[in-house]
Amino acid sequence: MRVNPNPMPDLLAALNQTELEAQQAQLQISTGKSVNEPSDNPTAAAQLVENNDQATFSSGYLQSLSAVQGQFSTADSTLSSVTSALQQALSLGVEAGGGTLSAGDLAAIATQLQGIQSQLVSLANTSYQGHYIFAGTITNTAPFVADNAVPSGVNYVGNTGVNEVSVGSGYKIAVNVPGSQLFSAPGNDVFLAINNLIQAVQTNTGIPAAVNAVSAASSYLSAQRVFYGNAMEQATSQTTYLNAAKLQLSQQQNTLGGVDMAAAANNLAQAQTDTQAALAAIGKTSQNSLFNYLT
Amino acid sequence: MSGLFGSLSIALSSLSVSQQEMATTSNNVANANTTGYTREVSDVAAGDPVEVGSLSIGTGVVLQKIESLRDPILQIQINQATQQNSSLNTTLTQLQQTQTQFASSTSGIGADISNFFNSLQQLAPDPSNLELRQGVLSAADTLATDFNTAASSLQTQQSNIGQNVAESVSQVNSLTSQIASVDQQISNLQSSNQNPGTLVDTQNNLIQQLSGLIDVQVIPTGDSITLTTSNGTTLVSGSQSYALTTQVGGGGVQHIMAGTQDITSSLTGGSLAGLVQIRDQEIPSIGSSLDQLAAGLATNLNTANAAGFDLSGIAGGNIFAPPPVGGVGAAAALTVSMTDPSKIAASSDGTTGSNGNLAVLSAVATQPLANGQTPINSYSSIVFQVGNATSNVSADANSSALILQQLQDQNGSISGVSLNEEASNLIQYQSAYQAAARVVSTVNLLLLDAVNLGMDQAES
Repeated sequence: MRVNPNPMPDLLAALNQTELEAQQAQLQISTGKSVNEPSDNPTAAAQLVENNDQATFSSGYLQSLSAVQGQFSTADSTLSSVTSALQQALSLGVEAGGGTLSAGDLAAIATQLQGIQSQLVSLANTSYQGHYIFAGTITNTAPFVADNAVPSGVNYVGNTGVNEVSVGSGYKIAVNVPGSQLFSAPGNDVFLAINNLIQAVQTNTGIPAAVNAVSAASSYLSAQRVFYGNAMEQATSQTTYLNAAKLQLSQQQNTLGGVDMAAAANNLAQAQTDTQAALAAIGKTSQNSLFNYLT
Repeated sequence: MSGLFGSLSIALSSLSVSQQEMATTSNNVANANTTGYTREVSDVAAGDPVEVGSLSIGTGVVLQKIESLRDPILQIQINQATQQNSSLNTTLTQLQQTQTQFASSTSGIGADISNFFNSLQQLAPDPSNLELRQGVLSAADTLATDFNTAASSLQTQQSNIGQNVAESVSQVNSLTSQIASVDQQISNLQSSNQNPGTLVDTQNNLIQQLSGLIDVQVIPTGDSITLTTSNGTTLVSGSQSYALTTQVGGGGVQHIMAGTQDITSSLTGGSLAGLVQIRDQEIPSIGSSLDQLAAGLATNLNTANAAGFDLSGIAGGNIFAPPPVGGVGAAAALTVSMTDPSKIAASSDGTTGSNGNLAVLSAVATQPLANGQTPINSYSSIVFQVGNATSNVSADANSSALILQQLQDQNGSISGVSLNEEASNLIQYQSAYQAAARVVSTVNLLLLDAVNLGMDQAES
């Protein structure tokens, strides 16, 4: 059978192919990616978009967590100070209720209690990064305002709003407890208890009952404080989880679009060898024909 | 015709035929690298014998014709393979250009969508923070800008293709007019029984070039040919060619016209079919997916923002300019109409510290659009669509290139000039010529003997 006497187009096509393969291997090695264009692996390219979305959100959740963690620890330490202040008030109340103190001593204790009262108001009006953390969602106004016209001596001007922040896909945590729930809960009103204690000490009547009320309010507040403790724990464990998830996403990203460097280097070497072979074949093709042997 | 003069005449015919054969070989060697050249062979036959009594005596050799060796059916297959390969290559080149803007998973529209929703998420712990609010607007701006860029790239590509279409049509017209004029020469030669070999080569070469541009069928009609597109539009009929025209038609793009007939969508091969396919199918499909995504995002986010209250406690307004009704052109038109970051309606109750409505805004990320997919999945589907189309066309283009290459190899094995073959023929013709020349000189000697009958001996 007669063969095609001109193998050049075939050889050039082969050369073109090996050079293309070499280029692809070089691109993979230089970018470290096996998916440099969607057509390299359409499914992986689409999954990489979703992988990047999840990775972006994981980083975002971590950022949100670190933002709310600051608020949590401020709130928690504030409530800790409130508890200490209430303990101090309790000691003073017990001392006043001992029945052995002079009127002058009682007046001094009452003054001390008033100091604690204003310390408590100030603690309840604690702010974090410019926002009052016990104001519900009216965070731009100090929530507790002294008002002698009310029995507790303090008015709550915040609301009962609770903000939630997403810290994972479909996972939201509440980030605040309204000040009204912490300090002005009916039956456990911290300010009412303190105000009543002050009046009891000033009038030296019903001190034990007032002390009991402060004690109850203090226990109630400690129980409420657990919210922030839990929240901090949740934040910590979610941070650990998200870091692991991020690592997994980055591994997935590598599986989807990363390059097996050894394989790519091997492909490159192979393509270069093939290119050399094709070049050698082209170089030798036109050298020989019968004409060279005619004398 | 026998006798010495008879032998001389036979030797002369041999000399003359050998010369012509060498001329054919020489022409083959000369055109060994000429594109489209078909090797020629000399067709020789023994001369008609003469009857002398009971003897039949040969009269030498006659060159009957010089024939070009070609396989017309293979030629048709090559034309068809060229049409397909050219169409696929054109589509591939264009798609490769289209897919570059969907190449990155960490930038572009996909990443912009992720970043925008992440910016809302960042606002949640501190909803009245103006810096974070500005971050949301900036992310929205980037998103809108990248939608605009993608839409305008597609549009630019479409209008560039329009220009290519016009250029290709004018190439088609130039080729068909050349083919028609060659056809005229061929029929002239054929009617006077001459070999039109190289003209047919030229014509075939032109038809193959035409096949690279448009789908074309060759219908032989007597001594000439008729060329039509596969839907029957006549391009060439004998020596008459019919020019195609372009005119701006529906969709504001160049349509291809044969007279008053619009043949744009009926083209099936050649680069024109590839260009039309990309321009009228692929790009509009990607564009409409982008439009749907942009319109869906803008509408849903505007609705979500309207459900809450801004920093001043006023009900939220639009974040994006409302997309065009029906969504057509939404990607190109996507703009952030909100300029004041305090207008982001993060609050669900009108207080500045509430972040309740941010959850509603964030939920747009997981809310299905009109196509039933979430925004990010809609985008990843577009990436898949573009990548998959490119990868499929690339595979098809590769296999059609292999088919074309095989057909051309086959054609080369029939029509290609082999230098070895020509050298061996040359040796053969040379020896034939030498032998015939020897006959002439021998006859000459014999004639000398005959004419000078015995004189040599008398003189000596």
